[in-house]
Amino acid sequence: MIDQLGNGLLLGIIIAMASVALSLLYGVTRIVNFAHGEIIALGAIMASYFSNPRTSRYIFFEDLSPIGLSFEISIVLAIFICGLFGALLEVLVFRPLRKNDFGNIAVLVITIGISIFLRHFFLIFASSKPQGYPLELQRREQYFIFDLTPRDAKLIVFGVIIMIIFGLFISFTKVGKQMRAVRDSNELANISGINSDNIILYTWILSSMLAGAAGIFQGMINDVRWNMGFLILLLVFAGTVLGGIGTSFGAMVGGFLIGIVVQVSVALPFMEGHSEAKNAIALSLMIFILLVRPQGIFGKKERIS
Amino acid sequence: MILKSKLGIGLFLISISFFGVYTLNPDGPNRILINLLTFAGIYAISAMGLNVHFGLTGLINFGHAAFMGVGAYTTILLIPHAAGREGSLNESGLPLLLAIVIGLIASALFGLIIGLPAIRLRGDYLAIVTIASSEIFRLTVRDQEEFTGGVYGVISFSDSFQNKRPKFVENLALILDVSVGQLWVAISSWVIVVLLFFILKRLQHSPWGRTLRAVREDEDAVRALGKNAVWIKLQSFMLGASIAGLSGILLAFNYGTLQVEMFVPLLTFYIWAIMILGGVGSLSGPVFGSILFWSFISETDQLASLIFENADGQQIAGVRFMLVGILIIILMVFRPSGIMGKKEELLLDVK
Repeated sequence: MIDQLGNGLLLGIIIAMASVALSLLYGVTRIVNFAHGEIIALGAIMASYFSNPRTSRYIFFEDLSPIGLSFEISIVLAIFICGLFGALLEVLVFRPLRKNDFGNIAVLVITIGISIFLRHFFLIFASSKPQGYPLELQRREQYFIFDLTPRDAKLIVFGVIIMIIFGLFISFTKVGKQMRAVRDSNELANISGINSDNIILYTWILSSMLAGAAGIFQGMINDVRWNMGFLILLLVFAGTVLGGIGTSFGAMVGGFLIGIVVQVSVALPFMEGHSEAKNAIALSLMIFILLVRPQGIFGKKERIS
Repeated sequence: MILKSKLGIGLFLISISFFGVYTLNPDGPNRILINLLTFAGIYAISAMGLNVHFGLTGLINFGHAAFMGVGAYTTILLIPHAAGREGSLNESGLPLLLAIVIGLIASALFGLIIGLPAIRLRGDYLAIVTIASSEIFRLTVRDQEEFTGGVYGVISFSDSFQNKRPKFVENLALILDVSVGQLWVAISSWVIVVLLFFILKRLQHSPWGRTLRAVREDEDAVRALGKNAVWIKLQSFMLGASIAGLSGILLAFNYGTLQVEMFVPLLTFYIWAIMILGGVGSLSGPVFGSILFWSFISETDQLASLIFENADGQQIAGVRFMLVGILIIILMVFRPSGIMGKKEELLLDVK
């Protein structure tokens, strides 16, 4: 069980990043964003497109070769593109919907439409073959009690740093405080002179960038696939709901827990030979939490029935 | 008058799409048309079930594929079949009709099990719980290989259904030059569509159906009048689930094999697209929606292979799904009530 803990930590940090992003977006805009998984995949696919050498066997869009930039620059570019994409979604789709008073179920169904569209656009853009990044293979080493490659260990450190920066941003900067104000009450925030349209735009950008970073991490420990976003989306939902949808700290803890549960459950005695079903354990945990504590572990009590 | 013009629009669109099928496929249009109608019938049944959930009661169910799957797996595993990697034939089995009845009950029970914790939750939570439950079902079926065949699926079960086939189907298949097996599935599913239409019509106008709609409009008012709103929602959930189970069984007989990958969440979203296209809350909506949806899909493949010359089969199918995504977005933005639905009957905001 201990040897799975490192993998659990790794998956946990990825899901935590994506969950925090989803939860922030839900808190500020009340959108249950099913297209969140596709933004995760966008980050991973863009990084793969920028970083692989021109001569590699990956082909995009029938005959487009990858660009072949250095990996670090590719990551920055990919995260930037994710932020841009989030901004475009808000400006072109969700702001007009909000101005026209679309109900939240209608918006939810629209995010599903966007998700299906984008996922199959990725299938055409990046083909159905699993892809990777131009990184050398590394040997696993012992860190404390965790069994990880040096790169995985670095990912965990980077993930923690990203989460800390995010936490500081949301707690102490002006924009972060305004985001929390809009989350708590859109109308009161407006009265206090906060331009909630701008804040929602910043939220979309921030949420998409975090999601994109999570996608790149996921691409580094696994591979890059057109449907990777949808595969991880339900776990991200589970993490968000577990910690309390709309909260930041709760979503982070929930995401960590879900990641660890998924990986560690492989080592449970009754799961021997059933590793395919590991996601089912995490999803069942989410449903159980909804049964006993519907607002999630850290959520504030509100009417959800 | 409005209803008549809506019916007119629906029939007009269907004639156009059939015309499209005939002109785009000059050789053997019958075959393609029967294939299209079979899927349309089966998905129409499923969409009718979803319509009981969302259209009549206002329950947001994103786990419809699992209800179809439970019905299909229960029934198919009870009749003679061959499952798993070796695929050795299991001769003993229940008679088909009994197995179908058990399958429908199993679907309803599965609906009850999911519904019990989930039905009290607010709409968006219900959406997440139902889609998660459907994935739990899919992952479990995939995992329990010795029992369900796992990724290898179930085969050799069509005989129980096909030997119920009356003689006239074979003659008709000869005349139309189509596959006998599929024609029989098509006829059965359309008979069920018609029966279901009249049953649901009766139900909708019964006191029970009116209570369902009252729950959708104002749950607190229903409670205040002394009705048990949670139990009524559960009943609706079970009814819709067993209708979905029936369509799942037909889907399995149409493919002739039962694969767990048939019941991915994308199937649920297909049914949602059909329901929205036809019209939420309207009884004939799912039927129109299903025919139009499948005509639309069967015509996009050729279009896609023209645009992308070097694309592989999966990428061609990707174009089709992209269009489904766009269809959902456009419908929801510009005409959320679909072809046959009434806008005032639509529940698009949770309170």
